[in-house]
Amino acid sequence: MVTDNTTTGTEQVLQEAREALDEGLFPLQLFQDDDLHELEVQRLFGQSWVFIGHESEIPEPGDYARRYIGDDPFIFVRDESGEINLLFDSCRHRGTQVCRAEQGNTSHFRCPYHGWTYKNDGEAAGIPQKTKAFQELDREEYGLAHVPRLESYEGLVFASINEDVPSLEEWLGEYKWYLDIQLKLPDGGMEVVGEPHRWVIDANWKTIADNFNGDSYHTAWAHGSVVDLELGGEETVGHAGTGESIDHHIHCDGHTTSIRGFEDEDVFLTYPDEIVDELFSGDDLSEEQWQVARQALSFTGAIFPNFGFLHFGDTTDDPNKDVAPFFTIRKWRPISPDQMELWSWGLVPKNAPESFKERMYKMYTSNFGPTGNFEQDDVPIWKSITEAAGGEFARTQDLQLNYQMGMEWMSEMELDEEWAGPGFAYSENLEEGGMRLFHEQWYEMVAGNDREDALGTPMNVDLEVNQ
Amino acid sequence: MKLSDREDELEELLVEREVRQFLNHEAELLDARELHDWFDLIAEDISYYMPRRLMRENTAGVFSDESYYFDESYGSLKARVMRFDSEYAWAERPPTRTERYVTNVVVTEYDDEEVDVESNLLVYLSRADSEDHDFYSAKREDTLRRDGDSFEIADRTILLNQTILSTDNVSIFL
Repeated sequence: MVTDNTTTGTEQVLQEAREALDEGLFPLQLFQDDDLHELEVQRLFGQSWVFIGHESEIPEPGDYARRYIGDDPFIFVRDESGEINLLFDSCRHRGTQVCRAEQGNTSHFRCPYHGWTYKNDGEAAGIPQKTKAFQELDREEYGLAHVPRLESYEGLVFASINEDVPSLEEWLGEYKWYLDIQLKLPDGGMEVVGEPHRWVIDANWKTIADNFNGDSYHTAWAHGSVVDLELGGEETVGHAGTGESIDHHIHCDGHTTSIRGFEDEDVFLTYPDEIVDELFSGDDLSEEQWQVARQALSFTGAIFPNFGFLHFGDTTDDPNKDVAPFFTIRKWRPISPDQMELWSWGLVPKNAPESFKERMYKMYTSNFGPTGNFEQDDVPIWKSITEAAGGEFARTQDLQLNYQMGMEWMSEMELDEEWAGPGFAYSENLEEGGMRLFHEQWYEMVAGNDREDALGTPMNVDLEVNQ
Repeated sequence: MKLSDREDELEELLVEREVRQFLNHEAELLDARELHDWFDLIAEDISYYMPRRLMRENTAGVFSDESYYFDESYGSLKARVMRFDSEYAWAERPPTRTERYVTNVVVTEYDDEEVDVESNLLVYLSRADSEDHDFYSAKREDTLRRDGDSFEIADRTILLNQTILSTDNVSIFL
């Protein structure tokens, strides 16, 4: 609950944030602030589409997995008719959680407290001694609560606890064009391998959101070890703004993607020829999407507020082995102002040979997840930002972090007028507009405004040029 | 019973002692982050595997068939070791301070060439300028191969207790 005092304090913080954002700055203290965390939970995560999981994680009737929106526990379950449900995990009698395992398969969930039993579509099926004890209780009113909104896009399932949120398709907007490239490039689509990696880190969720919204600038420094060892190609990991690759930063309806690629070359994220020949017919993509996929070496992407993906080529686990691609999706779940849980899944083309699926999953774990050669080095960095943000100095000294890269007085940034995809496409990756776009949406939602207020404007280039 | 009547048991005891000494030596190298010396103990046909643990309603000790943290061959394990020579391997700059406690050592099978051994591992890890610490707790199943007076590690499976890790990352070898 936000008290009057803190609201006043928070309003001042938000006012200062607004002024900072207008300059391309972001107050350091916002990376750890107790009152803001409450507002983020209520106004941002409570009003957004939050990623739950992939349909392929629960392929059979009765398959379930525990999932969370903020602190709220849910059961992600496929019912006997094959429909996917997201049930609030709390018995309607006393509130006990009825799902104790992390994954499994069951036709019913039974409360350990008094034995109330629910079908896997949430319906209350059994209430012990009902005819004597709860004669007038209407079973239909006492099923497990369904999340108000549950929708999926190409296998990705999202939920919202706000009944009035626009549809998932509207939320994704034209960004679907870029998601399609990742998810529909192989005929038959992508599927999840096994269970997600989960780990809890002492860092604010906005640190990783920043990173996934177009931090091309960090790779050569934070991940220099991968370059040193030749585990990742210079063009994939190397310095932003250098090398032969053609780089783009795309801002599209509030979501972003960073693309590295080679013009007029058959790159296909270094998928091997046999996969390209057999699985990449392009039937599920437009000609323009196909051309982007063909020339692409890597994609990094983020869907507001807390979903990210990496689809990379030209990496290996062993410098003596051939390079291969990997594809990983993830969510960051805020737990407190200085803690989040990371969830990270490895995906592979559903119709690929087993041996290739294994190789691709291996590439994922070698690079990302808690043991990843990239990711090992990211987390302590995000943690240290959070620690620096939480003290008196950040609060009293008005320390502003600089996100001005790509603003007109900082660098020459141009929209690529030839770009065939939707959104604003910058023909350069030395820019931080994706992060500013993230901050703008964060601000509008935490301030209680509409997310749409932050959309529709290029984040870099002088407005007059582009009108 | 006379000791001379218990030769088999004595031999088992000696094998167990050799194995304990090896595992303690290995733990010392890892705690000192003498990673190249540690890697000298790795056989060229190594399988170094840490599956993801699952949490199931009625069954203990379930691990994923598909998901893992490590599934390393000689080459990929070597790359992970070499990575820490880079000045950009921030996860271990400065190095974490660890102590490994290797207990419950049980030799399950042995012959002249190889010894199968199970052990419990507890790692205390201190990182950065902080009083915070992490623990890794796991059971390990190893196959050690005789190599002169010592052993080399031919197979290692690490079975963590946690399904959700409480560490920033796994930048150590277990």
